[in-house]
Amino acid sequence: MKVILDGKEVDAEAGRTILEVARANGVDIPTLCHVPALEPAAMCRLCTVELVEGRRSRLVTACNFPLRGEVEIKTDTPRLRKGRKVLIELLHTRCPDSVVLKELAERYGADLARFPDDNKDCVVCGLCVRVCERIGANVLALSGRGVEIRVNTSFGRTARHCIGCGACAQICPVEKIRIRDEEAERVVIVCGREAARIPLRPCSSCGKPFGPVIDLSLVMERAGEAQVPAFNLLVCPACSRRSHARRLAERHFEQYDIEPAPGGGAE
Amino acid sequence: MATAPRAAAAPSYAKKFACAGELEQYRQALIERTDPAAPRILVCCGTGCKAVGSLDLLEAMKGAVSAAGAQVRVMPEIKRTGCHGFCSRGPLMSFQPENLFYQRVQPADAEEIVRETILGGKRVQKFLYTPPGSKEPIATVDEIPFFAKQTKLVLKRVGRIDPFDINDALVHGAYKGLVKALTEMTPAQVIEEIKTSRLRGRGGGGFPAGVKWESCAKQPGRHYIICNGDEGDPGAFMDASVMEGDPHAVIEGMAIAAYAIGSDRGFFYVRFEYPLAVQTLTRAIRQAEEMGLIGENVLGTRFTFKVSISTGAGAFVCGESSALMSSLEGKVGRPRPKYIRSTERGFRDSPSNLNNVETYANVPEIILRGGAWYTGIGTERSTGTKVFSLTGNVHNVGLVEVPMGSSLREIVYGIGGGIPNRKELKAVQTGGPSGGCIPIPKKFLDINVGFGRLAEIGSMMGSGGMIVMDENTCMVEVSRYFISFLVGESCGQCAPCREGLTRMKEILTRITRGEGRPGDVELLEEIGTFTNSFSLCGLGTSSANPVLSTIRYFREEYDAHIRDKKCPSGVCKPLFYYEIDPATCTGCGLCRVKCPAKAIAGEKKKPHTIHQDLCIKCMECYKNCKFTSIRIM
Repeated sequence: MKVILDGKEVDAEAGRTILEVARANGVDIPTLCHVPALEPAAMCRLCTVELVEGRRSRLVTACNFPLRGEVEIKTDTPRLRKGRKVLIELLHTRCPDSVVLKELAERYGADLARFPDDNKDCVVCGLCVRVCERIGANVLALSGRGVEIRVNTSFGRTARHCIGCGACAQICPVEKIRIRDEEAERVVIVCGREAARIPLRPCSSCGKPFGPVIDLSLVMERAGEAQVPAFNLLVCPACSRRSHARRLAERHFEQYDIEPAPGGGAE
Repeated sequence: MATAPRAAAAPSYAKKFACAGELEQYRQALIERTDPAAPRILVCCGTGCKAVGSLDLLEAMKGAVSAAGAQVRVMPEIKRTGCHGFCSRGPLMSFQPENLFYQRVQPADAEEIVRETILGGKRVQKFLYTPPGSKEPIATVDEIPFFAKQTKLVLKRVGRIDPFDINDALVHGAYKGLVKALTEMTPAQVIEEIKTSRLRGRGGGGFPAGVKWESCAKQPGRHYIICNGDEGDPGAFMDASVMEGDPHAVIEGMAIAAYAIGSDRGFFYVRFEYPLAVQTLTRAIRQAEEMGLIGENVLGTRFTFKVSISTGAGAFVCGESSALMSSLEGKVGRPRPKYIRSTERGFRDSPSNLNNVETYANVPEIILRGGAWYTGIGTERSTGTKVFSLTGNVHNVGLVEVPMGSSLREIVYGIGGGIPNRKELKAVQTGGPSGGCIPIPKKFLDINVGFGRLAEIGSMMGSGGMIVMDENTCMVEVSRYFISFLVGESCGQCAPCREGLTRMKEILTRITRGEGRPGDVELLEEIGTFTNSFSLCGLGTSSANPVLSTIRYFREEYDAHIRDKKCPSGVCKPLFYYEIDPATCTGCGLCRVKCPAKAIAGEKKKPHTIHQDLCIKCMECYKNCKFTSIRIM
């Protein structure tokens, strides 16, 4: 199937989204709420492009529009640039210190002083929610309606069933989710509010807390990788590496009557 | 004289009808037992009349009639009906067969009515309707312009039958369309008939119903029929009245759609705020099921159709089809970000046909009388009739049904009776919060109301809300009102709608407070155009219409607010003051008496003055002055 992308004819597989085809052909469409691994939600609307079918032209979001016929796509028209500019200005009020938005503002000539700052610390792209549903423990959800909408836990309580995987913090485009390991607990902070608190397991060797106490089999099932060997749940990675090295050294050097170096380090 | 039996007991039905013939026999038996000349009193128990005490009236009437007992020659049947339509005149009551119409009747009046009208056969003058500007009361429904100028198609049984009694509906012809479809037509023929009728969706979009049914029927898998009864527009009550007044018409329409599309399961999605509609529908579904008019093997055929009711949780956005389906599935009611028609994959990822209450209510009559007959009503591109809820600054507030293509003049002046208090008509708002304001006096009074024409001038048909606005309506405030409604009702998931609306509300609030800045109108236009083109769902892509249409037609009002810091209509309190014109003030003192803030002073028969520091701008003096001496400055 052929489609016309910004004036050039390119090949496209039917059913692919506009964004996939554009990226495969080196055309950059800005996105904020999209990662290829998750189902598109079309919430940020930044990837809106113009679709020309026959004589009709309409705006669609590139991230979730499946190509079905021969159409023309325009990804960078004055109308789109103008819309994206307003969109970036509006989103910037929610997150004035975001690096991503500043870069986008530069690209589209957005006037960031036009609207007063709101400092909501979140652009409601929904990525954290979707990633939590997909690979985390379904702790986060969008609650509230309209302007009240925000990323929240059930009933706004500190979640206890979070697995502390950190996917939300990693995926957040405006970097407003933080993970902090306190004494014997891991704390997930979403937009300045404590969202989850998970106890950490102390290492049976050195005694330092190292990983969240979770039901690992559920996580493995969700990840769909049953073949991965179970982790050693009792010993922290550092101690595990150390003891592994010591065992290696013992096995290889003892037969030559060489004393392993004291402290377990085996070079 | 001996009391005649109230009405012969309805023939009993022990089981489901095994075939269409049995139903028709039963219907015939019912009709024969009903004497058309027998006296009947219809008490309106629609939501509007209920709110002003019509249920008490109903009881009082029953009590008064049975108290009169033996004196009554023929005991009248007192019927509880759905909305009569003339809501501003409630509680309403009409007397059959002479079609006598009484309005603003209180429970305490029941005895007098029984004594005078039922026993004495006289018309009580004070209950008769007198049109504005006239002194002659009009006695019967057929002569009252509000009713006489309407064409009742969808509402033909609303207000005439008891919605809780299926027998009454059957006497008036319910389920005849379904019988015809099941016995004489194939599903394809049904679809063809609807396509011939060019019936368009009445929920607002105006998508041709026949085309939708056809594309849904083509899909493989289990099909669902959904009825959208989530009517959330402020000031709209068309669907409520149909569901409350004639639930069987909607159920029948859905059953015909199910037969045409090949579905065996239907859902009503009724908004939480319509408890009466849920009651009538629940009862109607149960009665229809007991008779075998829906349910398994309808009328002995292989067609099976089960219906149930789901209620919303109070979100306006759930009137959007994909959000409605999410909500029906038990998920959060947010529109789905998918470029797939719900006729392909909708409810439970199956092909689903969703239509509005009014669309389904049109169907039985089309099947019965043919699509070609239907195209004879209305215009070429918008066929049939449309029910409007006429509200705002108009004499006759209520429910009206007119052929598509009727002019606004006909609706507002002919049926609506014009604008009260000698004021000028300024605009008509159609299409609910996502619609637009049409400036009337200037150009559009004779505009034909239909799908295409309204969209051309920047408004839309919507589901049929029609708000009439007089000269004392500030268009900036109107647009601020609708935008703040939408701010609260936007689902919030997509950025343009959520953020755009928030900013527009902020700017509009600023303007109405007198803090508008030069360039605000351009900024509103920029955000509005952006929101309308970049949003995800139908709610978002029309959310800026109130702002854009008022800027388009009432730009000078925005300028007056921003540049001159004046509200010419006298609504935005910081932006105007009242002044008494000494030349015309006669010093009658009425304003002084009426003023709750005691801000008006003056000697008798001498021009009065208003103390501006005390004035709270409540409009009492302005409204009451007989000499229009009070001016908005």
